[in-house]
Amino acid sequence: MDQIAFLEPRPAVLSRRREIVADLLDLLPEGCLVHEPRELVPFETDAFVSYRRLPLAVALPETTQQVAAVLKYCHRYGVPVVPRGAGTSLAGGAIPQEDAVVIGLSKMSRILEVDFANRTATVQAGVTNLAISDAVSADGYFYAPDPSSQLACTIGGNIGMNSGGAHCLKYGVTTNNLLGVKLVLIDGTIVDLGGKALDAGGLDLLAVVCGSEGQLGIVTEATVRLIARPEGARPVLFGFDTSEEAGACVADVIGAGIIPVAIEFMDKPAIEICEAFAQAGYPMDVEALLIVEVEGSEAEMDAMLASIIEIAGRHGVKVVKECQSATEAALIWKGRKSAFGATGRIADYICMDGTVPLGQLPHVLRGTAEIVAKYGLRVANVFHAGDGNMHPLILFNANDPEDAARAEAAGNEILKLCVDAGGCLTGEHGVGIEKRDLMRHQYSEVDLAQQMAVRAAFDPQWLLNPSKVFPLEGRPAA
Amino acid sequence: MTPIHEPLSEEAAARLVMIAGLSATPFSISGGGTRSLLPATDGAEQLSTRGLNGIVAYNPAEMTMTVRAGTPLEKVEAALAENRQMLAFEPVDLRGVLGSSGIPTIGGVFATNASGPRRFVAGAARDSLLGVRFVNGKGEIVKAGGRVMKNVTGLDLAKLLAGSHGSLALLTEVTFRVLPMPETAVTIVVSNLNDAEATAAMATAMALPVEVSGAAHLPESVRGRFVGGALPDGAATVLRLEGLAASVSVRAQKLADAMAGFGTVSQCDAGLTQRLWREIRDATPYADGTSRPLWRVSVAPTAGQQLVAALRLEAGVDAFYDWQGGLVWLRMESDPEAALLRRYIKAVGGGHATLLRARPDVLAATEIFQPQTDAVTAIQTAVKASFDPAGLFRSRMTG
Amino acid sequence: MQTNFTAEQLADPHVATSEKILRKCVHCGFCTATCPTYVTLGNELDSPRGRIYLIKDMLENGRPADAEVVTHIDRCLSCLACTTTCPSGVDYMHLVDHARMHIEETYRRPFWNRLTRNILAATLPYPSRFRIALRAAALGRPFAGLFKRFKAFEPFGAMLDLAPKTLPKASASSKPGTYDAAGERHGRVAILSGCAQPVLKPGINEATIRLLNRLGVEVVAPAGEVCCGSLVHHMGREAQALEAARRNVDVWLEEVEKGGLDAIIITASGCGTTIKDYGFMLRLDPVYAGKAARVSALAKDVTEYLATLDLPQQEGKGLTVAYHSACSMQHGQKITMAPKTLLKKAGFTVRDPAEGHLCCGSAGTYNILQPEISAKLKARKVKNIEATKPDLIATGNIGCITQIATGTAVPILHTVELLDWAYGGEKPVAISNLSTKMPA
Repeated sequence: MDQIAFLEPRPAVLSRRREIVADLLDLLPEGCLVHEPRELVPFETDAFVSYRRLPLAVALPETTQQVAAVLKYCHRYGVPVVPRGAGTSLAGGAIPQEDAVVIGLSKMSRILEVDFANRTATVQAGVTNLAISDAVSADGYFYAPDPSSQLACTIGGNIGMNSGGAHCLKYGVTTNNLLGVKLVLIDGTIVDLGGKALDAGGLDLLAVVCGSEGQLGIVTEATVRLIARPEGARPVLFGFDTSEEAGACVADVIGAGIIPVAIEFMDKPAIEICEAFAQAGYPMDVEALLIVEVEGSEAEMDAMLASIIEIAGRHGVKVVKECQSATEAALIWKGRKSAFGATGRIADYICMDGTVPLGQLPHVLRGTAEIVAKYGLRVANVFHAGDGNMHPLILFNANDPEDAARAEAAGNEILKLCVDAGGCLTGEHGVGIEKRDLMRHQYSEVDLAQQMAVRAAFDPQWLLNPSKVFPLEGRPAA
Repeated sequence: MTPIHEPLSEEAAARLVMIAGLSATPFSISGGGTRSLLPATDGAEQLSTRGLNGIVAYNPAEMTMTVRAGTPLEKVEAALAENRQMLAFEPVDLRGVLGSSGIPTIGGVFATNASGPRRFVAGAARDSLLGVRFVNGKGEIVKAGGRVMKNVTGLDLAKLLAGSHGSLALLTEVTFRVLPMPETAVTIVVSNLNDAEATAAMATAMALPVEVSGAAHLPESVRGRFVGGALPDGAATVLRLEGLAASVSVRAQKLADAMAGFGTVSQCDAGLTQRLWREIRDATPYADGTSRPLWRVSVAPTAGQQLVAALRLEAGVDAFYDWQGGLVWLRMESDPEAALLRRYIKAVGGGHATLLRARPDVLAATEIFQPQTDAVTAIQTAVKASFDPAGLFRSRMTG
Repeated sequence: MQTNFTAEQLADPHVATSEKILRKCVHCGFCTATCPTYVTLGNELDSPRGRIYLIKDMLENGRPADAEVVTHIDRCLSCLACTTTCPSGVDYMHLVDHARMHIEETYRRPFWNRLTRNILAATLPYPSRFRIALRAAALGRPFAGLFKRFKAFEPFGAMLDLAPKTLPKASASSKPGTYDAAGERHGRVAILSGCAQPVLKPGINEATIRLLNRLGVEVVAPAGEVCCGSLVHHMGREAQALEAARRNVDVWLEEVEKGGLDAIIITASGCGTTIKDYGFMLRLDPVYAGKAARVSALAKDVTEYLATLDLPQQEGKGLTVAYHSACSMQHGQKITMAPKTLLKKAGFTVRDPAEGHLCCGSAGTYNILQPEISAKLKARKVKNIEATKPDLIATGNIGCITQIATGTAVPILHTVELLDWAYGGEKPVAISNLSTKMPA
């Protein structure tokens, strides 16, 4: 794939490569700078592996002060910076460029404080999403946003992309669960935004930092909200003969004022992929599957389920399978959360992330199938149906350039379909490099100019993750 | 008398701002004028959204609504109520405490991020806000966000505008998420706890899997001024539960059992619960017709009572707590004591205080919003300039 | 993900296998989270995904290994936690095996590193030499600190630290022979005598033989068996590893001819992982491919075999066992439940320490070759184990036993030693001072 351009590397930076490396070596402890050409190769991409660019060097600081020192240096000498958490971005958010220093937060992985009385955890940015929940689960708490990559992805990356997850239907996405950050600005200034107190004292800068894809600064610490774990949770499987029926059922459940904690959708190809990996006991003789999770006391779950089953009945549900044990529930989620990776067993894929209004689900599912068929490709659909956040996985052969180009073109058409249906390009993965050139389909020039002006307020020289999010043409002069 | 502009369309508003830019005429943006923290001085002209009125789209099945910014809040709430839906964040109505008249608008709600008791579990106004249309200081019509629940396409300008108090742009249209109304609600009352005990009790309640949706502590001094004195004698620590009737009663029992160790437990029915939480939301005890300084202070939940305890030693204060203790409604006897208050906020771990009410001269002389560090102020200034380079929109928030 | 190999390159069967493995990786990064070296060092180069990428780059370009690649491949414990985690089914084990072969063939290690590895390869697999070496180590112990002051000598310091202060006497059970079933014979198995284990802990195989005999299983320790080859295999010394494998295949198949075998019982899960892989390792050998596959199919961890015997539930012992699952057990062989089920049936209270998926840092010769990382992992493991407040620790691999024992005062035994005790054997000496509720 090579449709998407990166910024031309700055010759002034490339020509100073050796000096820059030498200077950064001085700024960082031993073992915290990767600069040997061969060692840089593994950093050339993230989970959007279709695009690759070698970085100039990779800094792996251990403290906020070191992050600040590197940023200050890069600011002074006009060196672009690409922040990186665990490198799990599906949108290429962490893909570097030849003249950029990657700042990886993977060494900053300590949980700094857990405060149960105030229901907060303060962690370094390199802590994985799941590690937060793991650290507090024995005390009956969890951190709610749960991207499928939660095992590996970092909270810093989650903040960068404003990540969602299956359980966001009830609990909201990262921005709704983030209370404060320590942010290092491009000039090395360290600021604290938010904290254990709710709301903001001045402008809500935290709100715009969350989801800014590393373009406003680098988050090194975060304070997040913890939630008391519900008494019980039960995923139930609903199998349908058609995707349209399943989609319509989702809209009716929400329309009836029932908000389960999660409603996940899988079509037949996705079911087969996930079952092969997790052996979760998904029904195999249906075309579409909903995983609906309810939580609360037994009585509450029973009551909510009864209503959902009744609605599903109106949409011709074929199989209703209640899970019988915690192990079974865990397997159901393991299968779902591994869906993308497990797809790797059968093909390469790119994963779309458009969100559409619930009522548009059947229409967009149909349209997706048509687009993919037109390009002679296959698709597996697995997504967060409750909030209309679709994830068509377009399957292709990465070793066949034509196939890859078709996949990319099909993906672009699907995303435009989502926008045209009243939705957006990305619900939780971020724009990154992947969707950058589609931004004008969703926003007008004026809309984009306003966003870019805010971005420039934090980083006037456009040094932070500069190839991402905003189309390369029409940017304000730095 | 400063002129008041009430454009009747987004285009008209944009034109107005563009033209004003030519003559560098500053504006003070308002909705219904019920939350104004200070009348415009310095020659700013009033720019009101009142002419931008009406519900643009409401899709109950998708739980989203799009409304012009000047639409009265009560109209929005009435439309939602017809479908048994609501704004999750319970917008606070400040008319009582500010003694203001007028009709609160939905734009004003979002521009001030006005959130009530459910905020500490369900999020603030900004968390419900999905998308906005606005006129920036260059007179451009801009849209940000959208109408779907999950959207990370570009910068989240909608949330940045929430709570910006008219300092960045004129909101013209808002799209927000709504929630089903709970079938019923009850309140568990734990009586006679001191502030510290109440803080511990509320933290314990929040740790239980019973989904408390309101946690407030009403010290003895204010308790009698709520719901016509209908709460039991002594301080009242009140915990709200909402949802399906069957579920609420089970949870209420569980919560009551857990609270029995803290103090005497009683329960309010749905009717009294509704009234009580509305009064907590609007700080009704301080709707006293005076201009005694009133602060809204946000700190970590356990820090609220520490802050008040410290202040009591040095100033005459009256206070009650919402948000599990993290929101302190603080009424001062005479002087706002801003410096003292802010010093103690820092001492208890940080947070912020907004001065909502005081004598006009005191208001004018006090920093009503929490002062920020130099670095943050610098970003705020740059952000302000990115929306409003000529500084047309005057607000106490960004100067 | 995309690969770039020429048809010529793919003609090499090893490259062809690796290419297939690489194609399955989607670069999702899940593996980083459960990789002990990544969580310790925080550098993607020391994670499975980073290594996969380094290997890919090296193989695609047909390059000899260089110091950088070797550093990061050497840091890999081969614990295979990544393989358990990987949703895409990337066969990391065979990829890294190939990389190690490639390194061995194309890279000349610095002198001291080469010397250390040669000493290990020439000693550990041979019980008699190993015994002599350990005796010598007892004399060298006072110099451990001195060694550790020089980077190149660190491994020698680590070796001295690990060497036990006293050695058990050479065991009768390490001698070849047949051990008859008590009473009616229900089965016949071979037991792998092993190399390091009979020197360090001969009691493990003794307990296994006693227990199996009591359960009506005849156990044969065949003559002519050698080290399973795991140690040299992990050093990339493939010819040596395959030689060992062929020799064992011959020995065991001869035993099959003689009296039939229900299983080849292995009491060290590290060896089990390798023997179960003989089929793959010898796949390109037309003479041995089929035979090796047969042997791999017969190979069973002792707990895997015992689980088929339906042992009765025993009375509670009032002892809490922290079960440490060796990486070769849980990731290499995917045996997760059997040992715990057996221990519970035997009357122990079983606890799973947190972060059970993380390696203890033993990993064959890793604790000697990478002492710093190994020490960090050991400390983390011991902390997690001790947090369960156990009376004792059970595990199924000699390497883990040696490693963990140097970090905690809690006694650590092989699972089968506890099972032997629970089902009629003597109480293990190592826990003779622990009181139990068991009837005397």
